[in-house]
Amino acid sequence: MNQSNTFWRVALLALPLSVFALIIIWPLLSSFYYGFTNWNGFSDTYDFVGFENFGKLFSDRLFMSAAINTIIWMAIAVVLPTVLGLSLALLIDSHVPGGPIFKTIFYLPICLSAVVVGQVWVWIYQPDWGLLNSIIEYVTNDRFNYAWLAKPDSALYSVIVAWSWQATGLSMVIYLAGLTAIPGDLLEVCELEGATTWQRIRHVILPLLTPATVVVVALSVINSLKGFDILYIMTGGGPFNSSDTLAMHMYNESFKKYLMGYGSAISVVLFLVALTIIRLYFKQLKKVDEIYG
Amino acid sequence: MADTASLGSASGEYVAPKRFNPWPVVIFICLFTLAILFLAPTFGVLLSSVKTTRDIALGDLWAIPSSMYWGNYIEVLSNPAVHGYMLNTFLVAAPATAFSIGLGTLAGYVFSKLPFKGSDLVFLLVVSGMFFPPQVILIPLFRLFNLMGLIDTLWPMIIVHTALGIPICTLLMRNFFATVPNPLREAAILEGANEWQVLTKIALPISLPAIAVLATLQFTWIWNDFLWPLIFTQSDEKRTIMLGLVFMKGQYSVAWGIQGAMSLIASLPTLIVFLFFQRYFIKGMTMGAVKG
Repeated sequence: MNQSNTFWRVALLALPLSVFALIIIWPLLSSFYYGFTNWNGFSDTYDFVGFENFGKLFSDRLFMSAAINTIIWMAIAVVLPTVLGLSLALLIDSHVPGGPIFKTIFYLPICLSAVVVGQVWVWIYQPDWGLLNSIIEYVTNDRFNYAWLAKPDSALYSVIVAWSWQATGLSMVIYLAGLTAIPGDLLEVCELEGATTWQRIRHVILPLLTPATVVVVALSVINSLKGFDILYIMTGGGPFNSSDTLAMHMYNESFKKYLMGYGSAISVVLFLVALTIIRLYFKQLKKVDEIYG
Repeated sequence: MADTASLGSASGEYVAPKRFNPWPVVIFICLFTLAILFLAPTFGVLLSSVKTTRDIALGDLWAIPSSMYWGNYIEVLSNPAVHGYMLNTFLVAAPATAFSIGLGTLAGYVFSKLPFKGSDLVFLLVVSGMFFPPQVILIPLFRLFNLMGLIDTLWPMIIVHTALGIPICTLLMRNFFATVPNPLREAAILEGANEWQVLTKIALPISLPAIAVLATLQFTWIWNDFLWPLIFTQSDEKRTIMLGLVFMKGQYSVAWGIQGAMSLIASLPTLIVFLFFQRYFIKGMTMGAVKG
């Protein structure tokens, strides 16, 4: 019996684990290896350059600005989709008529590809006939043709807003799932005790939504690290690399300049950042599990 | 007090400012306004696709059209390149979806029904694969498939999407198999069935909802993917639809109407999947996220 269990474990796990090891784990580890080489993407040979690539990171002005942009993206990703998602979930959960339709509307963007989302938002920011400038012109009754995506000051933030538009739906459904888990009796008691709506949200609902908040915040941060497609479509990291992120910078160095060794060094940094966040996330999840069961 | 207030609003009469409960109305108006703002981008694509480029350039994109212009759709649908893009994407998305679910089912079954010493750790390792940015495996995979001579074929995309799908599929299948009662499996084993028979004859039929969830999620993600086709394809014949969309944008640089029609056609399969399987979709997203 026990022996046959071992047989089945090996037989059933062999294929999935070897595919996973070959396509995910092995490349992950060899990224470290290539980080120490000067491979150019084409030639069969390359040299070991020691820590040169990693040393270069610190003197690379573009890497530094990409790192800062990534941090900015993460910071906004923690706030914007979370607060919006929570507000929408609370509003929809109040048994407003048409709730399911609203839910679908806010969730719909998630099934669109980043390419399509990026393109539509390019139209929203379009200086001459874009929706944003048209609204501003309508309100101020004055000519306005600011090129949101072509100005270094606003390009990154414009992309992050577009990204958040898509990310909000996911936060909302996670919060909605969290809200349905709150026992109705508890809220009734609050009402009987004369708690105001605000008190009820602040002291009962929000604390009980902590597990959902951990998930929403972690997913937002992790997904912001992955943000590449929408950036590629909307600004390509420009103008003048002002909206580059680490993922974008890694792509440019590796597949535009063919500095694959250096690109690997950047991907190692990305990996270490992601690993830190994921470890924090799993730790928080465990803590939440212990407190809330 | 609460009763009279609700009575007042139920009869629809505005009795006195104090008794009328304005909150449902305020909330509805809030949500309605937000919904319009949220729909505007999607609606913009729809509007652009039925307008001429001239109309859009004149600033008419965001107005309701007085007459529909179908020329954009005709232009896109009669372009043979678009047919190729759609076919390629399907040839990648369908097998990769099926393979990843298959592999995830095998792994999920072991992690749920045949745990071993250290299996929790292996499971955690597999699941964490879901969270890493793809850039961390980009270069070695590019080199691997380059050496194998598979660049500019559909194979690398099928293989990579299969592998990238293993974490979420394993996670969801394990969680679903956990709901299949153990005595059911033990009874079958006692009657002489082996694990393969238990998996295919008992566990899988019960798990069809989980498979539906995964099929919708995986298909949508793979269909919408942009990065891997960007890395692995070179010729126009091998491009997937999202990549084709970007390259055709160059071709029709200011033909916004055509771009809009193309975006809509490219999104149609995932929109259909979403609208019909929304429940599964949402379930998968929340399950994958919360139980991570």
